Amino acid sequence: MDSKILWRIILILAVVAVSVWSLYPPGEKIHYGLDLSGGIHLVLQVRTDDAIKAELDDSAQRLVSRAREEGLQLTQGESNVDDLSFTVKVPADADAAALRELADKWVPGYNVSPGVGVWTFRLPPNMDRTVRDMAVRSSLETIWNRVDQFGVAEPVIQRQGLESDRILVQLPGVDDPARVKDLISSTAFLEFQEVVAGPAPDRQSLLAGVGGVLPSDSEILPGDREGLDGQVIGVDYYLLKKAAIISGQELRSARRSQDQYGQPVVNFSTQPHAADKFAQYTGSHIGTRMAIVLDHKVISAPSIESRIPGDGRITGSFTIEDAEDLALKLRAGALPATIVYLEERTVGPSLGRDSVVRGVRAAVAGLLAVMIFMLVYYRLSGLNANVALILNIIILLGAMAYFGATLTLPGIAGVILTIGMAVDANVLIFERIREELAVGKTVRAAIDTGFARAFGTILDANLTTLIAALFLFNFGTGPVKGFAVTLSIGILASVFTAVFVSRTLYMIVMVGRERVESLSI
Amino acid sequence: MRIIGETNIPFLSYRKIALTLSALVIAAGLAYELLGPGLNLGIDFVGGTQVTIKFREEPDLGELREAISHLTSGTPLIQRFDEAEKHEILIRVENPAGKEGDFTRPILELLHQDFNSEIADRFDLNTQGSKELLDLLVAADPDGMGGDAEARETYYRPMADAVLEHRKKTGIFDSTAELANIEDLSESTRAYLENTAVVGAFSVLGAESVGPSVGADLQKKAMLAIGFSLVGMLIYIWIRFQLPYAVGAVVALFHDVLITLTAISVTHREINLPTVAALLTLVGYSVNDTVVVFDRVRENLRLRRGEDLEPVMDLSINQTLSRTLITSGTTLVVVLSLYIFGGDVINTFAFVLLVGIIVGTYSSVFVASPVALAMNKVLVWRRERRRLKGRR
Repeated sequence: MDSKILWRIILILAVVAVSVWSLYPPGEKIHYGLDLSGGIHLVLQVRTDDAIKAELDDSAQRLVSRAREEGLQLTQGESNVDDLSFTVKVPADADAAALRELADKWVPGYNVSPGVGVWTFRLPPNMDRTVRDMAVRSSLETIWNRVDQFGVAEPVIQRQGLESDRILVQLPGVDDPARVKDLISSTAFLEFQEVVAGPAPDRQSLLAGVGGVLPSDSEILPGDREGLDGQVIGVDYYLLKKAAIISGQELRSARRSQDQYGQPVVNFSTQPHAADKFAQYTGSHIGTRMAIVLDHKVISAPSIESRIPGDGRITGSFTIEDAEDLALKLRAGALPATIVYLEERTVGPSLGRDSVVRGVRAAVAGLLAVMIFMLVYYRLSGLNANVALILNIIILLGAMAYFGATLTLPGIAGVILTIGMAVDANVLIFERIREELAVGKTVRAAIDTGFARAFGTILDANLTTLIAALFLFNFGTGPVKGFAVTLSIGILASVFTAVFVSRTLYMIVMVGRERVESLSI
Repeated sequence: MRIIGETNIPFLSYRKIALTLSALVIAAGLAYELLGPGLNLGIDFVGGTQVTIKFREEPDLGELREAISHLTSGTPLIQRFDEAEKHEILIRVENPAGKEGDFTRPILELLHQDFNSEIADRFDLNTQGSKELLDLLVAADPDGMGGDAEARETYYRPMADAVLEHRKKTGIFDSTAELANIEDLSESTRAYLENTAVVGAFSVLGAESVGPSVGADLQKKAMLAIGFSLVGMLIYIWIRFQLPYAVGAVVALFHDVLITLTAISVTHREINLPTVAALLTLVGYSVNDTVVVFDRVRENLRLRRGEDLEPVMDLSINQTLSRTLITSGTTLVVVLSLYIFGGDVINTFAFVLLVGIIVGTYSSVFVASPVALAMNKVLVWRRERRRLKGRR
C-alpha cells in the first residue's frame, strides 16, 4: 500500500516537474499568437493564369522566331488561357513536316493540331499543372527573399495545401502592414539604373570622384566582382542615379540566346509602353554603362552599344550558364504571376496587449471564485480539488509550452473555461462519495466506490467534449485552432488531476490511520 | 455544506410544458432570423474590411461616416469600440462586389486625408512603423554618428523600437512631449523627433480584410465543423449508450445551438470565427452535462431491472441534480468573469458561452431526457408491433 502511494506521488511530482521545467521561464516559453503579440496574417492567391499566359506567349514567340531563322515565315496568333492554347498563322506553302520538327524541338510537349492556315498548339494538362505549380513555388521563393529583408523573427510563409495556389504569410510583431504588403506584392525589385561611376573597390573612391559628398539623386550600391572563371572574388561598388531608367515591371521577358557568332547573350523585351522611353535613353547614352539592379544589388553593368528599341540584348563575356543565370534573375525580379490578397488581418500590438491583461484578470477572478466556492462547499475535500485545479493549470500551460502551442485570445478563454470545467470531475466524484456515505458506507469504502463509479461518467463526459474540440481543431484557423488545443489539453489534464491526483491526496490523508471516522466533504 | 438535499422532483411530468416552451422559443428565433433582420454574419463569413482606429480626441462620427461612405456602395458600419473614453472606433465596410485585394489601404488613406491633412509629409508617430522610423533616424543621424548606414542602423534601432514600444503600451501618442518618457532615447534624437515628427489624429489598432472566396470557404468549414461534431457525438453516444439516448442528446444540442443563435441575433451580435468556436464549445459542454445524466440512467436501469424508464430517469436526474447545478455554477462563474473582465474582443465569445451554459443545463434536464424517453417508446412500440406481426 505504502509503496503504491509512493509511486503515485513520484509520478505526480514528475509530471509537475516536467510541466514547470518546460514552462520556465513563462515569458519565453509560451508563444503568443498573432492576435496577442500583434502582427500580420495574410492569405495571398497567386494568379497562376498569368504564368500560363506568359508560358503560351513565350512559346509562341520562340517558335515563330526560330521558324523565321529557318526561313519559315510564321506569324504569332492568339494565346488563349482558358483553352491553354496558342495559334500561329502558317503560310499555305509551308512545309508541314519541317514545322512539326521545329515544334518538337522548340515547343516540346505541346499537342499540335494543324489546320488550314492556322495551327493550334495546346498545353497538355500535366504541363499546365507544372507551370502553375512552378509559379506558386517561385512566388513563394520570391516572397521569402523579400520578407527576409524585413528581419522578422519566426515568419510563417507557406503554401496552403500541396496543390493550392494560396500562400499564407504570418509575420508576428510587424507593425507596418502597408509596407509589408507593398514589399510582397510589388511586381519587381528589378531596375535598370544609370551608372555615374564605377565599378570601384570601395565607396570612398567613388565619393572622391564627386567631391566627397553623395549627391541627393544618387546612391552607391554593391555588386559581386567576378573573376575570369565566374567565381565571386570580391565586391565592387557603383555610383548610380537613383531614378530608374526602366523597372522590372516594365520588363516583359528575358531569355538566354546566342548572337550571330554563337556567343551566349541574354535577350529581353520591354512592355510596349516602356519601349519608347528605353529606346530614347539608350540612344542618347551609347557607350555608357547601365546597371541592372536586383533587390538593391548590382547584378550586371553592361555598356550600351546601340539604341535599344523594345527588344534588347545584353552581351558580355558570358558562359552559357552565366547567360541562363542572368536571364533567370531578370525574370525572377518579377513575381511570375500577379498576387491578390484574399485575407488580411493586422493586429495592433496594443490591442493584443490589452487583451492579455484583461484575459489574465478574468482568469484570476474566475479561479478565485471557483476555489472559494469549492472550499466552502466541500471543505477539506474542496482543498483537495483546489490542489488538483492548480496542478491542472500548471500541466495545461506546461503542455502548451512543451508542444510549442501558441496562446491565442480564444486560447485564454479556453484556459478560463478549463478552470470552470476542471472541477466538474471533482464535483462528480465528491457528490458520489457523499451519496455512498449517506447510505452508510465507511469512509474508505465510500471513497473507493465514489471514484470507481464516477470514473466511467467522467470518461464518457470528457470524451464527448474532446470530440467537439477535435472538429474545432480541424475547422479552425489561427486563434480558433489555439483554442481547440488549449481545450483538449485542459480536458486531458483535468481527468488526470481529478481522478489520479485527488485520489492520491485522499490516500495520503488515510495513511497510517486504522479507522477513518469522518470525511470532511 | 449542501445547496440542495435529496430531491424528488418529477421532471419528466413537465416535459410537455418544457418542450412546448422550447419549441416556441426556437420557432420565434427562426422566424426572427429568417424573416427579420437575420443573423449578423461578420466579415469572416461574408467578406469585408474592418479597421479599428484609436483617435487622440473624440472624432465626429457623422463626419467619419460621411467620409467613409464614398468608399463603398453599402452602408458602412461605424461604431464605438470598448469604453468611450478610449476614443476607439470600429469601421466596417463591404468589399466591392466580386473583387479581391487590398482594401484596408483605401480606408486608411481616406482617414489620413480627412484627419491628418495638416501634417502633410511630416513623420507621424502614430501611424508609421518602426522600420520607417529607423530609416528616418538613419538618414537624419541626429546624434552625428557618421559611419556607414549599417553601423547607424545598429545604433538607432533600439531607439526606434523603444518609441514603437511606447506606442504599443499606450495605443497612441497624445503629444510629442511623451517622447520625454522614453528612457532609451538619446537627448539629441529626442529633440530631433520633437522638432520633425508630429502626432497624427489616430493610430491603427487593427485591420482585417477578408475576400469573398475566403469568406465562403470559412462559412462552409464552420457548417461542416458543427455538423460533423454533432454526428460524431451521435455515433459515440449511440455506441456507448443506445440510439434513443443519442437522439435525445443531439436534439438537445440542436436546441442549444438554435436558442443561442437566437440570443446572438436578438442582441445584434456578430457571428465570426470565435463565435463559432464558442458554439462548438457549447456543444461539447452541453453534451457533457447530458451524458452525466444518461450515465446515471444506465446505471440505475441495471440496478432496478423491470422498472419503467420514466421513474428511473426522474430518479437519475434528481440524483445528479446537485452536480449539474454545481458544475454549471462554477463554469458560469468563470464565464461571467470572462464576460465582465474580458474586454470587447472576447465579449461575444463569453456571451455565447453564458447563454449556452444556461440553455445547455436546462436542455439536458428538460429536453434530452424527454426526447430519449419518447424515442425509446417509439422503438419499444415498433418492436412490439413487429413481434405481433411475426406471431400472426
